[in-house]
Formats: sequence, structure tokens, C-alpha cells
Amino acid sequence: MGIVRVPVGVVAACMLLGVPAVGLSASFEAGVLPILERRCLACHGESPQGGLRLGTPADILEGGQSGAAIVPGYPDRSLMLAKIVSGQMPMGGARLPESEIHAIRSWIDEAGRSGELASATRTTETDVLPIFQMRCGRCHGKRAQEGDLDLRTAESRLKGGKSGPALVPGNPDESLLIQRIADGEMPPPDMLFENNVKTPSDTEVALLRKWIAEGALPAEDDNPVPEPPLAARDLSHWAFQAPARPEVPQVANADQVRNPIDAFLLRRLEATGLGFSPEADGLALLRRASLDLTGMPPTPAEVRAYQGDTSPGRYERMVDRLLDSEEYGERWAQIWLDLAGYADSEGVIDEDRLRQHAWRYRDYVIRALNADKPYDRFLTEQIAGDELIDYANLESVTQDDVDTLAATGFLRMTPDGTYGSATGSIAERFNVVADEMEVLSSAVMGVTVGCARCHDHKYDPLSQKEYYSLSAVFQTALDPYDWRDPTERFLDVGLRSEYEAARRTNEPVQERIDTLKKEFDALVTPHFDRELERRLAEVPEELREALREIAGTARKERTRAQNTLAKQHEELLKIPNADGEWHQIAEAFPELKDTAGPINTRIKELKAELIPEPRIRGVYDLGGEPSRTYLLQRGDAQAIGQRVLPGVPRMLAARTAAYEPEAPREGTSGNRLAFAQWLTQPGHPLTARVMMNRIWLNHFGQGIVSTPSNFGLTGAAPTHPELLDWLATEFLRQGWSIKAMHRMIMTSAAYRQSSLVDPGAAERDPDNTLLSRMPLRRMDAEALHDSILRVTGRLDPQRFGRPAKVTKKENGEIVPDATEKGWRRAVYVLRKRRMPVTLLEVFDAPKPAPNCTERRESNVAPQALQMMNSDAALEHARFLAGRLIDEHAGRPDAQIGSAYMRILSRPATSEEVKLASADLAALSEHWLRHLDESRHLGPRQQAARWMALGSLTHALLNSAEFLYID
Amino acid sequence: MKRPNRRDFFSRIGDGIHGAALAWLLQGELSASGGRTTYDQKPRDPHFDPKAKSVIHLFMNGGPSQVDLFDYKPELEKHAGAPAPRDLANQLEFTDEVGTLMPSPYKFRKHGQCGMEISDLLPGLATVVDDITLVRSMHGEHFNHEPSLYLMHSGRTLPGRPALGAWTVYGLGTENQNLPGYVVLDDPKGYPINDLQNWQSGWLPQVYQGTKFRAEGPPVLNLRRDEELPGPLAEAERSLVRRLNRAHRDQRPMQPQLDARIESYELAARMQMAATDVADLSSESEATKEMYGMDDERTRAYGARLLLARRLVERGVRFVQVFIEYQIWDNHLNLDRELGYACRKTDKPVAALIRDLKQRGLLDSTLVIWGGEFGRMPLAQVGQAGTSGRDHGPAGFSIWMAGGGVKGGHVHGATDEIGHKAVEDRVSVHDFHATMLHLLGLDPERLVFNVHGLDERLIGQYPARVVREILA
Repeated sequence: MGIVRVPVGVVAACMLLGVPAVGLSASFEAGVLPILERRCLACHGESPQGGLRLGTPADILEGGQSGAAIVPGYPDRSLMLAKIVSGQMPMGGARLPESEIHAIRSWIDEAGRSGELASATRTTETDVLPIFQMRCGRCHGKRAQEGDLDLRTAESRLKGGKSGPALVPGNPDESLLIQRIADGEMPPPDMLFENNVKTPSDTEVALLRKWIAEGALPAEDDNPVPEPPLAARDLSHWAFQAPARPEVPQVANADQVRNPIDAFLLRRLEATGLGFSPEADGLALLRRASLDLTGMPPTPAEVRAYQGDTSPGRYERMVDRLLDSEEYGERWAQIWLDLAGYADSEGVIDEDRLRQHAWRYRDYVIRALNADKPYDRFLTEQIAGDELIDYANLESVTQDDVDTLAATGFLRMTPDGTYGSATGSIAERFNVVADEMEVLSSAVMGVTVGCARCHDHKYDPLSQKEYYSLSAVFQTALDPYDWRDPTERFLDVGLRSEYEAARRTNEPVQERIDTLKKEFDALVTPHFDRELERRLAEVPEELREALREIAGTARKERTRAQNTLAKQHEELLKIPNADGEWHQIAEAFPELKDTAGPINTRIKELKAELIPEPRIRGVYDLGGEPSRTYLLQRGDAQAIGQRVLPGVPRMLAARTAAYEPEAPREGTSGNRLAFAQWLTQPGHPLTARVMMNRIWLNHFGQGIVSTPSNFGLTGAAPTHPELLDWLATEFLRQGWSIKAMHRMIMTSAAYRQSSLVDPGAAERDPDNTLLSRMPLRRMDAEALHDSILRVTGRLDPQRFGRPAKVTKKENGEIVPDATEKGWRRAVYVLRKRRMPVTLLEVFDAPKPAPNCTERRESNVAPQALQMMNSDAALEHARFLAGRLIDEHAGRPDAQIGSAYMRILSRPATSEEVKLASADLAALSEHWLRHLDESRHLGPRQQAARWMALGSLTHALLNSAEFLYID
Repeated sequence: MKRPNRRDFFSRIGDGIHGAALAWLLQGELSASGGRTTYDQKPRDPHFDPKAKSVIHLFMNGGPSQVDLFDYKPELEKHAGAPAPRDLANQLEFTDEVGTLMPSPYKFRKHGQCGMEISDLLPGLATVVDDITLVRSMHGEHFNHEPSLYLMHSGRTLPGRPALGAWTVYGLGTENQNLPGYVVLDDPKGYPINDLQNWQSGWLPQVYQGTKFRAEGPPVLNLRRDEELPGPLAEAERSLVRRLNRAHRDQRPMQPQLDARIESYELAARMQMAATDVADLSSESEATKEMYGMDDERTRAYGARLLLARRLVERGVRFVQVFIEYQIWDNHLNLDRELGYACRKTDKPVAALIRDLKQRGLLDSTLVIWGGEFGRMPLAQVGQAGTSGRDHGPAGFSIWMAGGGVKGGHVHGATDEIGHKAVEDRVSVHDFHATMLHLLGLDPERLVFNVHGLDERLIGQYPARVVREILA
């Protein structure tokens, strides 16, 4: 069988010349109309449902309220067919037989090519704009105008480029645009792959021809039309009203009230004949508060200090101490990072490329929380930090500047595969933007907007158009038509000290690399030259010099002519030079393996020592005229609908001051800044409520609204609406201080209750929604990870900076790498999507895509296997046992007592000590026997005692008392 | 798990609580709002009588070429050497290596009583065609691997959603409580594309995530310690943990999660036995091993894993997924060598699996699915070296199913005359998912999980229909 390589241009040309198309044809009159008459026209005829008539091809194409019923040439993107295939249509009738579905499908398929619809409608710029944006915009759009050609506007198209006007209205054959596409020159076949562009389909070419033939008509009526105001009943939902400050209620048992929170809770409890449970004991409160605020249990010293403090107010002082601790920010940052969907890698494709600079956002969150940055400011910086400071003209960069800019990493955390050559299409860029909208709306707005990407929201009063208006707020920065993939979207702003540190580290390393590289080149180049000359000898002499020159020019720097010649002599030119991949060099010149090989290895090692220069991974306006924003029908990037302008949802706009962007300076639109200001205005119905509910949720294990990211019509009603409103208004009174609200919650009697279940109360408050006790909670994954390290003395407390790396062990377990001082807290461990740390994963750490708004808790055997058998827990337990033996040599009871104190943050009872020493004795026997049998070489008695104490500390780490929080 | 009630209270009398009994109690717990609040893998009632009780999904990563294996196109021979239609060229990934229309170099023959036409590359499958339904009209949504794998495994071209097996075990639980309900067998020679994201639980609780069984060594991660302890010592350690946990629980009555956690430690201990036992193939007869090709270096590893798959469903595991060495069906540039290798590695063991399940009476209750993330183009892709293969083809491709309530000896759907695009009785990936759930007794519309207050489904909001034409 003969196989011929054909450039794609030739393929295209053949098609336009009429090489037979493959497929069946179906005409509307004979094949489709009878079916429609039988099945559809009763409702979609003269008085059309949903504004949709199906009687003629033109009507079908015009469509109804949901847009065009078909996309000619694309059956799978055609709404009408989707409804028929799924059986949703005919409404109430039987699903169409396959033969009829097939007939309709074939017609849609053919309609794109056959021109059957040509006479039906006129084509305008609106129809062809997507083609320009998708197929041509990369080189003839905003960012580049190759050959001086810009295809974005009617004027620029007519003006054309170096070769003349792009088109001649009324004459497709004379139009350069059509000629170049037809002869396969455009889009350039050799650039398609790297630019993520596909050639236009037949349907698209036919459409372009038709548009030009009809005179290249401008877009019809695409001035944005605002959505009409919502009806009053759509606005009546509780969460769309501004929170009003309620009166603090009177209760019967006023002695149980420590602050207003208690009054709101007690009123409902008393109505059910209940009250609060008794206060938990002191050490239980200390442990609860420590784990809540710092994610780790108290140290023995902290336990002793708390026990020794007998003056009034010791509990409040303890809460203040924890709020002031550095560990507070690390703990609560994790909760916020879940909402942002923080990760240190891009995901989506197998490469799972690392995000070298994401950690600056993590550090920002930790610092902001520790500084108790007011929540309105916190949000504003994350949505529009770049619009707050004129970062391009800073005289000297401060940590505050870096933080304000790094804050915008908030909307850069979702999976982003657009750096991949096959996953960077415009549709996939829209996916990234949609994910960011999901993060924004679910994390801070408390409404689910995602459904409106494809259709009007079914439950909340949110139209599809409003979704795209919201998304348009961000288009000046996240523009799918003018995209920066994650390898190129950075702000080059950093502290001078960081640049200097990078330089100090890198300069000597780079010098050594350069020296070695010269040695390497000197070894490889002669082989390359020899091989090139040998090959050149086989081609005609007149080509040799040209090919020699090509061989010495990097691929990207070659001229077009050189590329053509190179293509013809691809095999000849396939000799790896000194800048090539080592494995290719080694394959071509095996004799270099022993000489150049070690140098290459050393260069690689040295390169790993280089520190990347400081950069900020954030969101920032790209400047210039932004692309127009459209509604995408059915969320399909190729089905462009009405034009939209940036705006906020009507359900919230009705109760808030208007969204009115104003550019704060040249080069940035102010769209996002205005949005942040709109979102954080006093009296916004959702912002304060949503955040207070989250803080509450993370203290009590359940929210006042049990659907923390959905306060809309499908969300749960608040269990205590007045309490939620009181907290929301108090939050503003406290100047949006998060720490003040922690303090308020934690000093309530409600929070200080015991978690023991009272059977009587459990009968009346079975789900504990009334909070008749504190719920028993399990540590989450990070708390468990950090607590194991803290109690066994293996924690490296180093804060901030690049994350600790992770390794896949031989058995498949993924573990964080140790530092010189131990292991870092989980928040400082690399979050690589394809390498989740096993311990964290097993204990329900989220795999954010795009984010995690609420953690689920499982209780499964793999957790037991992980804790019982993984080296990780075992090694730490033995390390601690060794220390205990050192500290309390020869005093087994003291060792036991200290193990309890460190791991469980309380003294052991004498009964526990007695039982544990019996266990230790038995375990020592077992271990001794085992060491004997396995011919252990060291001192066996000592080793057996150590191992036995290790078994005890390991058991304590495996105990429910360690994992659960009373 | 928040709600303790009388039943828990009374079931604790005399500390006579039995783990399984407790779990049964917990499993039925529903919160006041009607949602599930406990997540475990106890068996649950399906929505209606199921045809299949378990699934073995033989996932063929890379995109097996329907043109060369399942979908014979004589028309293609007529057009051999013709350039591709533009709409076809428009979908290629490697736009710089486009060749011409290329008929299959392999012979197709009719097999079995049904006369199903398949390629000579699959002599083993040819012997069991009367037991399979071949779907020739699958179509996907994306031309590249990662998004297509997400789609095939979780219903959307984006990461982050629960896998098929996770949905299944969420819906049905599993029969054997000593083994995970969703087991993944990956190939030690290379991870599939997307690696563990293929079997993740997404926003479903972790308990529904696939558990990887390794081919060698202890089958489950951390099933045992690196250092093996003598039985009495291991038991002494376990009983110490048990004592601490019971004492802790006894001071905190009516906290069911504490009982459940004690039970999870007992289950872990039982799992050590059960998982080790199921992975031990030595008790299988020589004839069986030979049937699976374990006597031949080329088929040994894959055969062993299919035999393990059978042993898993035999013991009541709900969902088994067998992955394949990296993406060996991704035959861009050297069809002859690569496709031949992939077929040789898998064909004999796959046929053995069908035959073995059948002879043990397990085929009726086990749905076997064979397929990749897409198919391949009827065009040649021509590389520098002059050899040729085929580029990705999501517009039309073939998969097959056997047992578990699908017809035997049946062909469903067709592609166009060159084998590019599915045109007759088209089956989308969502249709395929809906059909699989239906065979398991689950209504794809009713199998929901609430995320942000909205009911999510495997089939999402996409139009999806059960392909009733293939049901037995």
C-alpha cells in the first residue's frame, strides 16, 4: 500500500475543489419536514412554544429563547437534536425512533455543507467573528498583527496588510482571505500545533464565503441589552435581603448566657425544654481551642501553664494567646486555601506542571490572617490587588506590595491545562475562567452560578446572560481570546532582597554551569561537525552551504525559506548538536558517554540548585482594548450569542449600591476593583453572612446554614436566622475583624459545653442542630499530620517560602520529604495534584477541582491501615519512645506518663499507668523473642524495651482519643 | 453520623455490640432532611432488579483503532491514498504528519454463529464473539487523551468528578466487606494517563475511591508493615489499640462514629487476610493459568491480572478496573508493530476471562467492558521515518461489552463508510454510562449526590439514554 505524505494545505485545497464528501445526504423537504409535521409542529408551529418555530429551515436556524435550534454541520452541538435524543422532546410524547433521529441528524450534518440554508438567512459579522477569533486571532488579532494584518474590525480587514485588503465585499473568490485559506497557506500548517489552532472546517469556510458574497455585512444589533429588573417575588428570598441587626432575646436561664450568641441559641433550646450541656473540663477546653485555632494540640508546657493558672479569665487569656500565635494563620489559611482550590501544580494534563510561585499566595493568606487584615480588605486584595497599587511604577518594592499583588493568586488556583499543546483551545480557556467563577461564587458569594453557564438558572433568579456579565468583569484580565497560559502569566515584581538572594545563589552556580557547558560543547561539537560534513557530502554541492547554515541556526530563528529547505532535508539535519537532548546525543555518539556524560549529569545537578527569580502568579489587567464579551449558547465557545457587558447579578444588585467601574489609572479597567467594592459594601446581603457561617462551621463542625456555598433557593434555610444576622452585623461593627469573631464565638457558653451526649437531650435534639452540646469532632487531615509531628517532636516549624517536596516511596506511598530539622506543617508541603500525600489523602484532604467548600469525613479501613502500618507514623512513634527513654531513664512509669502528656495533652491516671506498664512488660517479652528469633545483632534487652515503648506510643497515636476532639 | 438514637443506645447494652450489626444500623441512618449522612460500602438496594452485580472494566488506554480491529470498511479501500476531507483533517492533533486515507492492512473475517466481523489481530476474541455486544457507534468529545479519559471515567472532560466505580459503590455498596468495593489493577509497566485521577472519588467521600491492587508484593498500600512482625506480637499491638479505643468509647456513650472507627480497625485486620488471599494465584489450576496465557512471557502479566479480576468479582467485589501498560493503543506512527504488540498482550487473556466467567456461571452477573477513550482516524499519520499509524479519532469508535445483561453476538450502530464518524444508532459516552448504571439496577437520573445544594449525577445534565437495543 502506498502511503503519501500530503501537507494539510493540499488536503484543504482538494476538498474545496470538490473531492467527493463522504456521508449521506438528506433533504429537508423529503427527509425532515414530514417528521417535524408529525412530531413537533403542534407546539412549534403557528403559536410557538418558547418562541421556537420549526416549520422552515430559516425558522429552525433563527431558533427561540434558547438560541438557534441547530448549528448547521454540527449535530452534536444542536440543541434540537440534543432534546430529541434525550427524549426531553417531544414533550410528553414517545421518543423518536432511531431512523427519524438519524434523518434529522444527517440533515443538520449536511446543512452546513450543502448551502441549503444559504437562502434562508443572511450572514453577518456576528456569524464569522468566532471563526476569526478562533482560527486567525493568534496572529492577526490583539497581540500580533503578522504581515500588518489585523482581522478584528471591519476597517482593519478592509485596510488589510502588506498584501492588500483581506477581503473584497461581494466577491469571495477575489478575497485574499478566502484564497489563502483555500490554498492551505492560512492558517500556516507548520504553526498549527504550537499555536493550538485548527484549520477552519468546510462549514466555516462556506460561511466565510457566504458572508463575503453577501457584502461582508456588519453585526446586527449587538449592542448589549441589559436584563429587565427582577420581579418582587424573585427578590423575596431571605438571603437576598440585607441582614438587619436583631434584638438579643431574653431567656429564662440567663446564668447560662456568656454573650449574645448564647441568648440566641438558648431561646430555641429552652423552647424545646433543653439548655446547654455543662462546661467541658479545663484540659478538654484547652485541647479543643488549640486544635481549633492552631491545628495542633497543646504542648506539655502549655498544659502545665494552663493548669497552674488559677486567676480569673485564664480561658480568655488562653484564647487570646492562641489567636496571637503564628500557628493560627497557618491553620486558618488551610481553610481559606481549600476555598481558593490552592495547588502547586497546574493539573489537567499528565505533565502536571509545577507552579513555581503559587506559594506566595499561600504566604499572603497566612500573613493576612495573622495580621487580622479586615475581611473587606482581604477580599479586595484577592480580587483586585493589582488595581490597588501602580505596580509598574514602584520606586522600591515592599513586602506589602508583594502581598497585595500575590493576593490575586486567589483566582489563579484552579486546574489550568492551557499550557499543553492539545489542551489550550479557546473552549478550554473558557473552562478555566468558568472554574474561577465557580471559586469566586462558591467561596465568597454563597451562590451557585455554574449552572447558568449553559442555561438560565433553574432555581435561583440568575439568567445565563448575567452569568456572562459576571464573567465579563474578569475578561480584562482573563481573556480567552487573548490568553496568557500559566507559563507566561506573571508579574515580575519582587523584593530587592529576594532578587539579591537569587543572584547570590545563582551567580556562582551559573558560572560553574557555563564553564562545564563550554567543556561539554568542546567535546560534542567536533562529532557534530564531522557527522554533518559526512552527510553533506551526499547532497548536491550548491545546497551544502545553505544546509550548513541551517544546521547552525536554532529552529525558532530560521527564516521561512530555511524552514522549507529544512523540511526537505529533515533526515539529514537530524543530528543532535551540543544544545540537543542528552539521550539523543548519547545515541548518536555513544563514544561520548564516558566523557561528556558525567559533565552533563553535573550540569543537571547544578541547574537544580538555581533559584527561580521572584515572580508573582496573579491576575492583572492585560491592558489595551479587551475582546468583546458574549453569551455562549449552551456554554459552547463556538456558539456565540448576544453581547454582554460587565455586571453583577440582579438578585443582589437590587439591594446594593450600583456596580460602577472607574479606571484607577492608565492600563487597568477598574472592573475588578469596583466589583470588590460592590461585594464588600456594608449591607451586602451575602458577603458577611457567608463568611460568618464559615467561621461558625469551622468551630462547631456544622454551619448555621448547612450548605455553606449555597444560600440560594436550593440551599438550606438557616437553623438560627437571627443569630446569623446578628453575627453578620457584629462582624461589620468589629471592622470586619475575623479574630474578634473567633473570640466572640469561643468565649460563648455554647462553645465551652461538654461534648458528652445526654440521652434525654439527644432524644429532643437528635442532630444537635440546636447545639445542646459541643459535637465530637475528628481532626482533619492536616491537623492529624501536623499533630503527629508536633507530639513526637519531629516538627520543623520553619515558616513561609517554597514548599517541601514530596516523594513516592517504592511501595507507592507518597510522603513529604524531610528537612534538616524534621518535617514541615502540611500547609508548607507541595500540593502537586498527581502526587497527593497519602496520609492526607486517606484522611479526606480535598483534591480541589476547582475548589473544596466543605470537607467530607470518612471513617474507613484504609485509615487504620495507614496509621497502623505506614512507616511514617511508626518511625515518629519510635523516635518519641527513644526520647522518652532518654529523658526518664530507668523510670518506666514516668515514660508512660510523659507519653500520655505529650500525645493526649493530659496526665495519665494511675489506673492507666498500671495497665500500660502491664502492656509494656508483655510487649517487651514479645519483642525480645522476636529479636532473638530474627538474630538481631545489637543489644537485645535495650532494643526490646525501646520497641515496646514504641508500640505504646504508636498505639496512642492510633487511639481515638488522639484523633477526636472532645 | 451525627444522630445517635435509641437503637444505638440499646444495641450497646452489655457491650455486646457486634461490628457488622452496628454497621447495618448505621447504614440505614438518614438525616432529617432525607440525605445520607453516613458513607460506607455496605450493600444497598438498587433502584430496580439488576442484571449485573459486578463490573470488570478492561480499560484500553490510548485509543484502540476501530478501523483495524472491529469496524471493517471496504469503502476505505476504494479511497485509499485519497487526501482527507477537510472536516476530518480539521480534527487531527498532529497537523504536521497528515497522510492519506488508509484502509486497514489486516484481514477481517466473520466469526461465531452470529457472524460478527472482526480483524485477524484478535483470534482469541473471535472465539467468544457470540458472548459479546459490539458497539461500533461510540463518539466522544475531545481529540486528546487527558480530557477524553476524564470523560470516559467520570462523565466530563475536566478533572475532579467521581469515577464510574466510585458512583457504583456509592450507589450499591459491595458484597464483600473484607475487600474494597472498587479495585483498580494497574500495570506495573506504566501508569495510565491521568494516573490516580482515573479512579478518584471527586466530591464523593473518600470511601468510594478506587483502591489500587498491586501486581506484586502486598496488594494494598500499607496492608502490612515493611517489617513483618510475628503473629503474637502483631496481635499484642492490635489489642493494645483496641483496649485504648474501647476505654475511650466507654466514657463517651452514644457517639456512633467511635464504634464505627473501632470496627474500621477490625476490618483492616480482616482485610489483611482477605486481600492477601485473593491476590494469591497459586491455588489456581495449571489449566486455568495456561488459559489466561500465564505460561507465555507476552501474556503472563496481563493474564495474571485478569485472573485476579475474576477472583475479585468471585469474592463479591463490585467494580474492578484493569488498566493497561501506559497507553499502548496510542499507535500514531507504527501501527504494525505497536498494534500487534497490544493485541498479543491482551487478546488471549481477555478471551480466557470471558470463557472462565462463563464456565463458572459468573458471566450473567458480571458486566465486562472493553474499550478505550476514543478510536483512531481512517487516515494515515506518517512519521519522519516513513512508517505510519493513525491519529486520535473521537468522532466514531468501537467498544464491546459482555455478560451482565447485554446481548451476545450482537452489533450495535455503525460509522460512516470510511469508519470516521458514528452515524447510525450513535452512543455517546453519557449513553454508555447510563446503560452501565441501568444494567447494575441504578437509575442514572436518580443516582445523585448533593454538591453545593445541587444534585450531581454521573451523567451530569447531559442528555443520556439507556441503549435498550443492546439489553438481553
